[in-house]
Amino acid sequence: MSPLSPSRLVLELEPDQAFLPTAAAATENAAQVYGLDAQASLRLALAVEEYFIYLCRFAGREEPIRLTLTQGGTFVRASFRFRAGEVSLRALNFAASVDLEGGEGAEAELGLLVASRTTDRSSLELSGADVYQLCAEVDRGYPPGEPVTAPQHLSGPLRLDEAPGTGALQHSALLAAGRYPTRLCPRCFLRPGRFADMVAANQYRALVALDSADRPAGLLCWRASGRKSVVFSGPYVFADAADLAAETARLLTERFLSLVARTEAVCAFSERPTRDLPKGWFESLGALHLPERDDAGHLTFTDQPAFFRHLREDVGGAVWAHPDLFPFLRAHYDRLAFSRDLLAAAPPAQSLLPAYSLLATSWDRMRGLVVLKPLLDGRDFSANLGAHVRALNESEGDDAPAILVHLDLSEPWQGALYPALAENGFAPRLILPHGGNSDILVCQHVHADS
Amino acid sequence: MPIAELVPEYIRSFEAYVPSCPDPELMRLYGVNHLHRLNNNENALGPPPAARKVIQDFEAQRSAIYPSGDSFFLRKTLAERFGKDPNRFLVGNGSCEVIASVIKAFCEKGDNIITADKTFAVYEWVAEFSGFQARLIPLRNYGYDPDAMLAAMDRRTKILFVCNPNNPTGTWWDRDAMERFLRQVDGRAIVVVDEAYREYVDDERFPDGMELMERHPNVVVFRTFSKMYALAGLRVGYVCGQREVVEYIRRTHIVYSVNGVGQPAAAAALLDDAEHIVATRRMVAQAKELLLPAFEALGLKHVSGAGNFVMVETPMSDSLVYRQLMRRGVMVRTMTGFRFPNWVRVSLVQLPVMQDFLTAFREVIETGRQGT
Repeated sequence: MSPLSPSRLVLELEPDQAFLPTAAAATENAAQVYGLDAQASLRLALAVEEYFIYLCRFAGREEPIRLTLTQGGTFVRASFRFRAGEVSLRALNFAASVDLEGGEGAEAELGLLVASRTTDRSSLELSGADVYQLCAEVDRGYPPGEPVTAPQHLSGPLRLDEAPGTGALQHSALLAAGRYPTRLCPRCFLRPGRFADMVAANQYRALVALDSADRPAGLLCWRASGRKSVVFSGPYVFADAADLAAETARLLTERFLSLVARTEAVCAFSERPTRDLPKGWFESLGALHLPERDDAGHLTFTDQPAFFRHLREDVGGAVWAHPDLFPFLRAHYDRLAFSRDLLAAAPPAQSLLPAYSLLATSWDRMRGLVVLKPLLDGRDFSANLGAHVRALNESEGDDAPAILVHLDLSEPWQGALYPALAENGFAPRLILPHGGNSDILVCQHVHADS
Repeated sequence: MPIAELVPEYIRSFEAYVPSCPDPELMRLYGVNHLHRLNNNENALGPPPAARKVIQDFEAQRSAIYPSGDSFFLRKTLAERFGKDPNRFLVGNGSCEVIASVIKAFCEKGDNIITADKTFAVYEWVAEFSGFQARLIPLRNYGYDPDAMLAAMDRRTKILFVCNPNNPTGTWWDRDAMERFLRQVDGRAIVVVDEAYREYVDDERFPDGMELMERHPNVVVFRTFSKMYALAGLRVGYVCGQREVVEYIRRTHIVYSVNGVGQPAAAAALLDDAEHIVATRRMVAQAKELLLPAFEALGLKHVSGAGNFVMVETPMSDSLVYRQLMRRGVMVRTMTGFRFPNWVRVSLVQLPVMQDFLTAFREVIETGRQGT
């Protein structure tokens, strides 16, 4: 695609089903222009149709619905921005129950459920007091690559390539995939064309270390996670000699930190930390009990450490939490030497809550990892969370994923949710300082057999 | 329309600097009853006696009156001190304000500035949030790399910023290096020589910006009363250059930005600085004599050139060292933001405070080493 090609198409549509063909046709056309094949374009168009029908019924009528179609490099995104006071968004819950006897409203929710499940990712965000952003993304297809397992004969001195080209990125990704367990590699390493395109589209940033003959000697990549943090994978080191391996890891880590130091990022978190992460550069947050696929492809649970690095001087702060969490928070903040005022978050009166809550679900099937984030509180929160746990566990049979809940402690209502989490078998595991608007508390569902 | 769509991309992607909380709040947060400030390179001796007297004698009633809008008497004092026309001086609310004035005066859309990657951050910040490219040249042996800076110049390069001595490494170009550089720039761009720490250098090879600008009319010098003169709380800095250059900068410069007590205090400090400078240099030398061998005994790399600060590499995250030291009542500057991850910068002050720092620092480092 030429640099002059449009990367965004915006339509403002009245919430009237008469415009359904307009929305669907524009989506299908834009998706193809932006690089999706015919089948993937249809999937996105289907999602847009379902969303639009739903919003025609429930979105506020005082202003048009804005549909934005965006070329995201390796995916195409359709996002609806709408104002809605009374919209029933519960069908966006992964575990939304479908009541086929429930009449007209239930059919509408079924459509939204189908749409959210047939895209590669979907999300719902509040972007104002009464304004929502509903997004669907469909990925472009890429051919798989073969991991490189052959030993590399590398020699110093090393240098860094801060703007690696497609070839270097693809080769480095396959080298990493050949030397490290699957759980430690982003999925796109196995489709290296996708990885290179993600870097080109700034979805990932990457540093490649090169040896004296300009052969890839190491790789470290990172991506934004929210507005204030980055998550990194690596360092991936391709040298067998211990000295050269350590030097590669140090060089990659030091430069990575220098590059993110004067950006909007406040913290760097490990997403897939390798054994080569240099000692002393990151702080241990604790460990999560996460699954790992064995040779037969089954999941077994092991403790996996989580690391972080604060990129600024901490200015202190306050967090909201249910008092039951105070002992855990005090112990962890003390160990990390973070100064925080703990504010007691009381659950709101049930009568003041809407009937239905909403949880955002992100599911990485390769890692066997599910992250739930509460988006809206509701009287059914505990039941809704329980339904998610059951649905997730049942859907994978013996390979039940690890289920985490992220609570943003800048929000009193999220801090107050802890008793419902405990009721459903979740235990606090670690704190991600500055991981959200404030600190994020990570709770993990405790499997009976883990 | 979402507010964000009204905002230029270079502002949306820029992260505002968050200054640290006031000392009482920090002490409350970290549960300490004292706080040694070793983070901002302040002069712990305080201002020279004459400046102290001006501050003490300042009558509250005078707060009702606007200060001189262009620091008239302070510029006159500066002119007498340096033997130049008062109109060749422009005084600002700290040197940060004059950095912004110079960039606004000379840069337009598509222009760039050049400086080092590991130096005082404000040159880079002001350029970026004003929509101009900051070309950042890696340091060589902890010092500015003149050849790489020259190689990075193009027709759209308007300003080269040279922090001499460099904060945070303390390295500096001598007369020969500076002359060679200026000859090669050959008037194609403004060269800002930031001499915030120049009074800490006691070496005849150190180039004097006030003299350089007479041979190189594109040279602009920044100086400040915040460091050696210990008036950081009053925020007074200034720029000096050829009259034509300063006239252009004046067009973008906010008047009345320098307060009514800062102006006379700065002038008094300038007239009473001889003993003060000697005493401060002595304090800094004594602090270095204590700290540098202690860092070596701990097996830690350190960098200390000119200036009232030293940088030391830590075997753990500098932000963790910061938090652990804060819990012991000591505040240092983390260097990740200067692109020196795992280093901290420590201001050099009186020996008893340096002793307190060392005690706390040793404890943090040794505890950290046991934990890794």
